[in-house]
Amino acid sequence: MDLRAGDSWGMLACLCTVLWQVPAVPALNRTGDPGPGPSIQKTYDLTRYLEHQLRSLAGTYLNYLGPPFNEPDFNPPRLGVETLPKATVNLEVWRSLNDKLRLTQNYEAYSHLLCYLRGLNRQAATAELRRSLAHFCTSLQGLLGSIAGVMAALGYPLPQPLPGTEPTWAPGPAHSDFLQKMDDFWLLKELQTWLWRSAKDFNRLKKKMQPPATAVTLHLEARGF
Amino acid sequence: MAAPVPWACCAVLAAAAAVVYAQRHSPQETPHVQYERLGSDVTLPCGTASWDAAVTWRVNGTDLAPDLLNGSQLVLRSLDLGHSGLYACFHRDSWHLHHQILLHVGLPPREPVLSCRSNTYPKGFYCSWHLPTPTYIPNTFNVTVLHGSKVMVCEKDPAVKNRCHIRYMHLFSTVKYKVSISVSNALGHNATAITFDEFTIVKPDPPENVVARPVPSNPRRLEVTWQTPSTWPDPESFPLKFFLRYRPLILDQWQHVELSDGTAHTITDAYAGKEYIIQVAAKDNEIGTWSDWSVAAHATPWTEEPRHLTTEAQPPETTTSTTSSLAPPPTTKICDPGELGSGGAPSAPSFVSVPVTLALAAAAATASHLLI
Repeated sequence: MDLRAGDSWGMLACLCTVLWQVPAVPALNRTGDPGPGPSIQKTYDLTRYLEHQLRSLAGTYLNYLGPPFNEPDFNPPRLGVETLPKATVNLEVWRSLNDKLRLTQNYEAYSHLLCYLRGLNRQAATAELRRSLAHFCTSLQGLLGSIAGVMAALGYPLPQPLPGTEPTWAPGPAHSDFLQKMDDFWLLKELQTWLWRSAKDFNRLKKKMQPPATAVTLHLEARGF
Repeated sequence: MAAPVPWACCAVLAAAAAVVYAQRHSPQETPHVQYERLGSDVTLPCGTASWDAAVTWRVNGTDLAPDLLNGSQLVLRSLDLGHSGLYACFHRDSWHLHHQILLHVGLPPREPVLSCRSNTYPKGFYCSWHLPTPTYIPNTFNVTVLHGSKVMVCEKDPAVKNRCHIRYMHLFSTVKYKVSISVSNALGHNATAITFDEFTIVKPDPPENVVARPVPSNPRRLEVTWQTPSTWPDPESFPLKFFLRYRPLILDQWQHVELSDGTAHTITDAYAGKEYIIQVAAKDNEIGTWSDWSVAAHATPWTEEPRHLTTEAQPPETTTSTTSSLAPPPTTKICDPGELGSGGAPSAPSFVSVPVTLALAAAAATASHLLI
């Protein structure tokens, strides 16, 4: 891991290129392939697990940032200066995403988010926070691998970064402590929202891959209904 | 030409006089509307009459006692709701109506109670409001919805009072929604606001059409079926999970089952012969809160028709055939305990195991009754 101090996310560009070169982890044994169903289910389960883990992590981290970040009514305007991948999407656009695009958007989002999280980890003041963040980063890496597995099973190529689109962040002229905390706040918020979105994304994929529910119908027929 | 002009002039003057007369004496004169606060004191002047004019006051046609008067003004103390009405003052001698006041006694509005909920996720959400205590006078409400800095339209519900609907344009937003409401009436003004994330207000309607049925030949089972609420627009992409609770009427303790999908469940540990009450609730798989409980379904598990020789109260259920132990005399038909008491409908082959000797006797006895 990179041990450089400093809080400019721009320095993460180097680190993040490393991520893109991680080969796709095939989550399935190709021979005797039961189809992408089980790995979609596994990915779905991972998003739920991560969402649960994030809840306690975010609570601890926001308390560490202190007020107003840990206040439940805190409702700052989104200045949009951060280059975080945004989960928000037009309803109709989201509905009509094809499988490849749906998976690609998820993969790209978590790649970026993982990168930023690792940056967060390096700045965290307490050992306990660093430990929790590191644990979360490992789990998030697992989710990425799982998504990569689904994409491989469906025959979709993993997204390769175009030059110049790596997650960089240009700090403002005087990047204050407060603005840094704002960025941290939005990172955690966006991560949480992405995990909710991914659960819905993978639900949709699961339903598409599922065979029709014949088992239930047969059960009912036997009872004379 | 000269003759009609003075004639026309007189007609106009007469008409004007008639109008003035009508305005002064017509019982249809528009009263002055006045709002006053409950518990306060008010002095009602008799229009433009001088303080020492001799007047009589009436409320809703009933005379008022002169001791309430201060000169020509009516003094009302410690207003209560009963004071609301049409007050009229008349010249005492001529009984000409001088002035009318329509008095409404009420209160300024307290802080309104506002709540928002999405039972149609991802289509949109609605907000409802009410006042915690009545004002007794008309109120107007004004609702504004902000998503970040963007103003959203809240469409009034055509059927339900004090409710409006917002359509989601974007999903998975990190920016909170802020709904503000202001209420005002003639006596005052109040306002409140709430802020929330898209996900926290998701709460489906309760499941519909909850039906519980006994299962033939199974004295400890109840089959429960229900439907996803019809207001939930997209159960495919936004699946619901369900929570079922049941108890016999005679007990207070509920049993709970959480079901991640499917709209049917079989209870297998019901007490034989006891009437059950069953309810189901729904929740989006990942976000929001549980719905209210559904309308309750009632059912009693299947019981055998009473036989001359009774068997144990809670025989354990088996699905193995025990035909060999129930082998009847060759002349009678094979006794299938499943056929007893269920009207002969074909049922799943799950035999209740009973003590063999009793069963043989019972089988022989009842088989002879069962000539279908």
